[in-house]
Amino acid sequence: MAGEFHFTFEGRPVAAREGQSVAAALIAAGERCLRIDEAGRPKGVVCGIGVCWECRCSIDGKPDIRACMTPAQAGMAVRRQHGLNP
Amino acid sequence: MSRSVAIVGAGPAGMAAAIEAVARGARVTLIDEAALPGGQIYRQAHPSLPGADFADAGESARKAELLRRFRAAAEAIDYRPGTAAYALFGNGELHVAAGAATEVLRPDAVVLATGVREVAVPFPGWTTPGVMFAGGAQALLKAQRVPPGREAVVAGCGPLPLVVAAQLARAGVAVKALALLRPLRQMAADPAALWQGRRLVFEGMRYGRSLRQAGVPRLTGHVPVRALGEDRLTGVVLARVDAEGRPVRGSEHEIACDLLALNYGFAANSELVAMAGARMRRDPIGGWLPEVDEFGRTSLPGVFVAGDGAGLRGALVAEAEGGIVGAAAASGAGDDALRATLGDAFARRRQWAAFQRAVRGTLRVPAGLWSLAADDTVVCRCENVALRDIREAVAGGHRSLNAVKRNVRSGMGWCGGRICLPAIAALAELHGGVPPDAMMTPRPMVRPVTFAALAAQQKARSA
Repeated sequence: MAGEFHFTFEGRPVAAREGQSVAAALIAAGERCLRIDEAGRPKGVVCGIGVCWECRCSIDGKPDIRACMTPAQAGMAVRRQHGLNP
Repeated sequence: MSRSVAIVGAGPAGMAAAIEAVARGARVTLIDEAALPGGQIYRQAHPSLPGADFADAGESARKAELLRRFRAAAEAIDYRPGTAAYALFGNGELHVAAGAATEVLRPDAVVLATGVREVAVPFPGWTTPGVMFAGGAQALLKAQRVPPGREAVVAGCGPLPLVVAAQLARAGVAVKALALLRPLRQMAADPAALWQGRRLVFEGMRYGRSLRQAGVPRLTGHVPVRALGEDRLTGVVLARVDAEGRPVRGSEHEIACDLLALNYGFAANSELVAMAGARMRRDPIGGWLPEVDEFGRTSLPGVFVAGDGAGLRGALVAEAEGGIVGAAAASGAGDDALRATLGDAFARRRQWAAFQRAVRGTLRVPAGLWSLAADDTVVCRCENVALRDIREAVAGGHRSLNAVKRNVRSGMGWCGGRICLPAIAALAELHGGVPPDAMMTPRPMVRPVTFAALAAQQKARSA
């Protein structure tokens, strides 16, 4: 499809379209758990609009990036954070 | 020299305020966190994304018209997308962050058009991935063109769950149930309000028709009491509740789903105005509101609030009020002179505010619903503070939200308490018998800002 590209989540390829957020592409790909929090609880997208910070991921080695507020880009490496570790 | 006005938020109130303020000759800076104008209700998809947003034609027309007016005025507006306001001080200093830098603005007037966020009621399992706010599920659908699940249960109170359930059904999501705390037809108790808002009533009826066509079961007086699944949602337990919102034993039944979209109403985004020191009051539907006059003036000189951030009344009130407040912030004219030029905006605000009074009646969360949380249910998600921690803090004599926060860290995490504060206030009241009338004191930053961005601060300048 025109405008479609890929990034990776936990090393797996994920398809996205220009203008989509990282969170939207992950949900479209069937991913729900985007982070393991400090207490070991799996966390996913909650507010979807940048308020709750629950969907924060490590993107290209930078921790604490909100997946819902970040446009997906080709070649990004997105990973789950585990507690405070990126 | 013309007045400088900084507006925070590019939803209906902020856009209308910016349009009116530049029309009156002010120099306007418009700060907004999103990449595109529209706020939450008129959230836009990236222009290259194909697909529909499944909104009612009436709403789409209002959105297109306001965005057209905004674009027509945009050349004169210093519009800054992707920018977050993270502090406002009593001297009118507004601190904003964009990318890797921060900046201090010193405008003559600040208009806060920061809108509302969704209110959540904690219950066992609500942190499971797949449990989302209904507005968040809607944002994925309308701005990202992504169905947020395959099989959904939509629940809560007020009109948003109905709208979101219908939009999900129109998008092909299997909506297994729409569970509403109370029937929307209770709004019929105020026929004058319904008449004022009849255009929105018809839109609601069209959403209702979509649900009937999709065969979506509607359960009134039911709420989710448990979310099932470990690292993803597998189902929801619904139960009937009594008039106080307490679940009725034996009424539980389970529905398999991978999305639970919840909305228990809205709380104002009022941290900035509270931080600056404006007089506040508790909103009975959740959160705290600044005291404002008819022109949106707070108790602080030069600080104005417009739209839902001054009390939930919906997009049409926000748009009318944005014009009123934008005019007041931009000009030094007296009240009578302002009123004379704003008759139409005042009339529109009155009309739609009448309807929204009926909407508000569907939104109050009854006390019993806060008892859904079990002792080990996480209430403050960021800091993993459970109900037990809050109950013990309150029992130990910590009777204000500030005192509870200092003891258990509730509200001190990434979201700054924006998700949990209505719940913590209600739970402190439920378990301590003391209504926490004072808001938890918001401190800078109300958004996380990196030290690098603070270090890269541009020198203060006049906006």
